[in-house]
Amino acid sequence: MNKDTQPTPDIDDDLSGQYVLGTLTEEERSHFEQRLASSVELQKEVNQWQAHFLSITDRLDPVAASQPLSARIERSLDELDKSPKSAKQSTMNSQASFWQNLILWRGISMACLVLAMVLGFKLQTVEPILGKPTYIAVLVQPESKAPGWVIQTSQANQIQLVPLAAVEIPEGKALQFWTKADDWDAPVSLGLVRKGETLNLDINKLPPLTENQLFELTLEQETGSSTGKPTGPITSIGRGISI
Amino acid sequence: MQLYEQEASRLLTVVMRILKNRPLSEDVVHDAFIKIWKNANSYHQELGSARGWVYTLTRNLALNALKHSNRQILAEPDFLLDLCDNQVLASAEQPDSISALAEDPLAQASLQTCLEYLEPERKLCVLHAYVDGYTQDEIAKLLGKPLGTVKSWIKRSLNALKECLQ
Repeated sequence: MNKDTQPTPDIDDDLSGQYVLGTLTEEERSHFEQRLASSVELQKEVNQWQAHFLSITDRLDPVAASQPLSARIERSLDELDKSPKSAKQSTMNSQASFWQNLILWRGISMACLVLAMVLGFKLQTVEPILGKPTYIAVLVQPESKAPGWVIQTSQANQIQLVPLAAVEIPEGKALQFWTKADDWDAPVSLGLVRKGETLNLDINKLPPLTENQLFELTLEQETGSSTGKPTGPITSIGRGISI
Repeated sequence: MQLYEQEASRLLTVVMRILKNRPLSEDVVHDAFIKIWKNANSYHQELGSARGWVYTLTRNLALNALKHSNRQILAEPDFLLDLCDNQVLASAEQPDSISALAEDPLAQASLQTCLEYLEPERKLCVLHAYVDGYTQDEIAKLLGKPLGTVKSWIKRSLNALKECLQ
């Protein structure tokens, strides 16, 4: 712990929560933001609150943004992009890389990437094509982020878990497939996965799939987790997106 | 550039809920994108998802715009409570598996779960503040409670939520 990360008094925590909740006055908010800019601890606290409260935001029924609004935003951002002041050039570069890395956009780009992967994958297989996928998730290895599995649903009321590469499962073990929506209390098992096989599930037997729903594969005993919850290490993990 | 359109709709939803005025909300969402773009380098990626940052920034712009809005303060308790409706309490108590699952994002306590532990009136205070962007004064009037009570409920609720979410 150095000087910059000295223990944060309770009052800060209180303010972090209130800041995200929106109950600070405009003056309190701007004062808090000044402190926030220079305190990593506060930024972490605020970020945790934000992440938690997003689960409520994501349950609001979306209002479609009008075409004129999208066009207006696009125009304004294009103008900003085209007119970097010379002194701001390096800032603009770091902003550009920020946008490329921004998780917000990454999730959406990921859907496009996965779609490309799925379409590519389908060309290489003799699997019957079930129709245009409507919901998709790519499961990656937690460490390497290498894509290992794709989940897709189609109009045929099937959810498919498709391996993208050869899968190694140790002797006496099995991969168990789990899912949990943001608002569920506990993960639900979708079954055991066998080597090199596509797992097909009837979508009507599952709760409705939601945006950002978490899917994961864990390494369990051959017969599956005895507790009904994931107990082994996660081999692949990802979130679903409607397309 | 259609990459952001999906998120623009969600941001518009959040802002509309607060301002209850479409043209003003569209202005705020537009300004939010400009601000996100200009301030992108102030966000540290090691903090995790930037999505929360984007939403807080946008909500704050909406809260600042409230002075230009003559919105109606509505109670709508059913709508708000539905947002965090969760059949959770029945299966929430499983202490023996908690430590084994601590690393697993599937097993982390959710805000919805923790909100269930708050008394309904206090839960409504939190939801009115977050979802509707109502001031504590407005919430106090809406619920017919003294301002001090609402302030203290919100503070205590945040403390309780924090404890539960850990």
